[in-house]
Amino acid sequence: MVLKVNDQGIIETGNWCSITPVRGVEKLAVGKTPEQVPKIASRVCGICPIAHNLAATEAMEASIKCEIPRDALMLRHILQLANRLHSIALHDILILPDLYIPGTETKINPFTAEEPVRTVAKRIQRLREIGQTIGQIAGGDCIHPRNTRVGGMYRNVSEQAKTKMYDLAKEGLPLAKAQMDFMIAVLRNYQAREHVDVGGMKVALPKTLGYHNQGYLATHAFYGSSSLDECPTWDIRRFKEVRPWDWYMGEMEVSLEEPRYPIGGTTKMGTKVNPQMEACTGIPMYDGQPVEVGPRARLAVYKGYDEKGTVGQNIAREMEYTDCFYEMFDCLEELKTDGKVVADFIPDGDGTLGWASNEAPRGTDVHLARVKDWKVQYFSMLVPTTWNFATCSAALTGAPWQLAEVIMRGYDPCVSCATHMIVVDEDNKVVAQKLIQ
Amino acid sequence: MLFSEIVIAGCGNPLFADDGFGPALIEEMQELSLPDNVTIIDAGLGGPHFIFTLLDPEVTKKLIIVDIADFGAEPGQITKLRPEELPPGAYRDAHSWDLTEPLQRIKDQIEVTIIGVQPARVTAPEFELGLSDELEKAIPKTIQVILEMIGVDYGTTIKCLQEKHQRGTA
Repeated sequence: MVLKVNDQGIIETGNWCSITPVRGVEKLAVGKTPEQVPKIASRVCGICPIAHNLAATEAMEASIKCEIPRDALMLRHILQLANRLHSIALHDILILPDLYIPGTETKINPFTAEEPVRTVAKRIQRLREIGQTIGQIAGGDCIHPRNTRVGGMYRNVSEQAKTKMYDLAKEGLPLAKAQMDFMIAVLRNYQAREHVDVGGMKVALPKTLGYHNQGYLATHAFYGSSSLDECPTWDIRRFKEVRPWDWYMGEMEVSLEEPRYPIGGTTKMGTKVNPQMEACTGIPMYDGQPVEVGPRARLAVYKGYDEKGTVGQNIAREMEYTDCFYEMFDCLEELKTDGKVVADFIPDGDGTLGWASNEAPRGTDVHLARVKDWKVQYFSMLVPTTWNFATCSAALTGAPWQLAEVIMRGYDPCVSCATHMIVVDEDNKVVAQKLIQ
Repeated sequence: MLFSEIVIAGCGNPLFADDGFGPALIEEMQELSLPDNVTIIDAGLGGPHFIFTLLDPEVTKKLIIVDIADFGAEPGQITKLRPEELPPGAYRDAHSWDLTEPLQRIKDQIEVTIIGVQPARVTAPEFELGLSDELEKAIPKTIQVILEMIGVDYGTTIKCLQEKHQRGTA
């Protein structure tokens, strides 16, 4: 994140570049089968594999014009909602350290063993477990779902499994309600403060923290849309992608440094930065402007929600907690466990461009595909964080620089998961003692 | 219950060649019939978010993580590590949860073993599908190590798996 600030430390221009690790996936997908590409797509992120898997699968179906049975769709909806539930709970852990225990000057450490936080942490854990267990039942696996396939789902669930999902959802609803109420209370408490503490610095909290005028994009109240729909809610003609150098600052040198900023201070003075070159993705625009996607966008477009700013955005996310369960009850009600879940006929594709959007926890995830003779000719992913890059950058303007990360966290961004590898030690001492095969 | 007494998690990203070893191994293990107290799971990149921070020590007693590890050996060689032997890791936030930090938190209540396999080729940030020959061949012996650890005798299956991974066999 590169910030240009005035003498008072207020952000004049903020550039947020994250290396969303989707570059190259388009090329990799070409020539693969439509079954392989959703599996590839689901590997670009450690937290959102389900959204990418569903969006990619449905983009393939949109291209080959394959409509899936209703019961398969219900299973996908349940999987999606379960994933969202886990994601909101995870986001609570992400933002709690910014917030205060009401009536005190103590910031919340979600890992403390002390009350009242302990009860909240246990509730968050149980909600995550419920989400993951329901997702596992509907999707066959709770991280990389094995049950989804082009044309529907591999298998339906048993009546017992459906009952189990019901029971879990019934247990989860009051927990979600309590967690939502708690989070809204601590967010309102934060919002009402004149000052907040960041690394020992007393920072004035603006009432307009995170405000922007970029507009919202959402394609469904909770699930998604595709080019197969009778009334698609995303229009490719309204979409345009521009180069990041039209929006981001060029090369410059860091001239302000604050060692007190949490976790090791800010970047050292004299460091060269170049957001234009470091932003590796394009800037997606809808109707000629960057837009916000995510929970607030869904609530604004479909439910008339109108609170702006970072607190409003976080509250919108909390409001989706209980909706996850209400929608899930509706889907479970409709799901017939003896119904078929694979389409009778799965065409090979004639090269038509199809798209599908999935309302991922972080926002609209649009995948585009062209399939011909059961081979992918074109594939592209427009992930939620990419949609939000330029919007979040606009939302930084006018805030004290110390709160830039608070604004960014409101977008629940995908930070690059990339790869990881255990490096044991540089002297390779472990080899001699530990090599077993 | 989401996880059982023994949890085996294959970590890594198949988009970066040998980094996909963990998920590839899990795919292979899905063909085995394992006892009910064993959960095998393709963790992908989500181990810290979806597994290590969600285990209940009342239920789960043993966690086996399979991942690539650069310990300076020949590609395909296997090592067993304890969380104490890994870099401690640092918690920054709930998104950038690194692999090892949550393991340090649970290691006193759950027996954690990391099976590290030396990769031949990790292509990040460039995407490449498929394991190198060395790591492909390391799958059956790694499965054998895991089965020994969980006390499952699966002699014949292992032989079949080994044959499957030898070049030139049908």
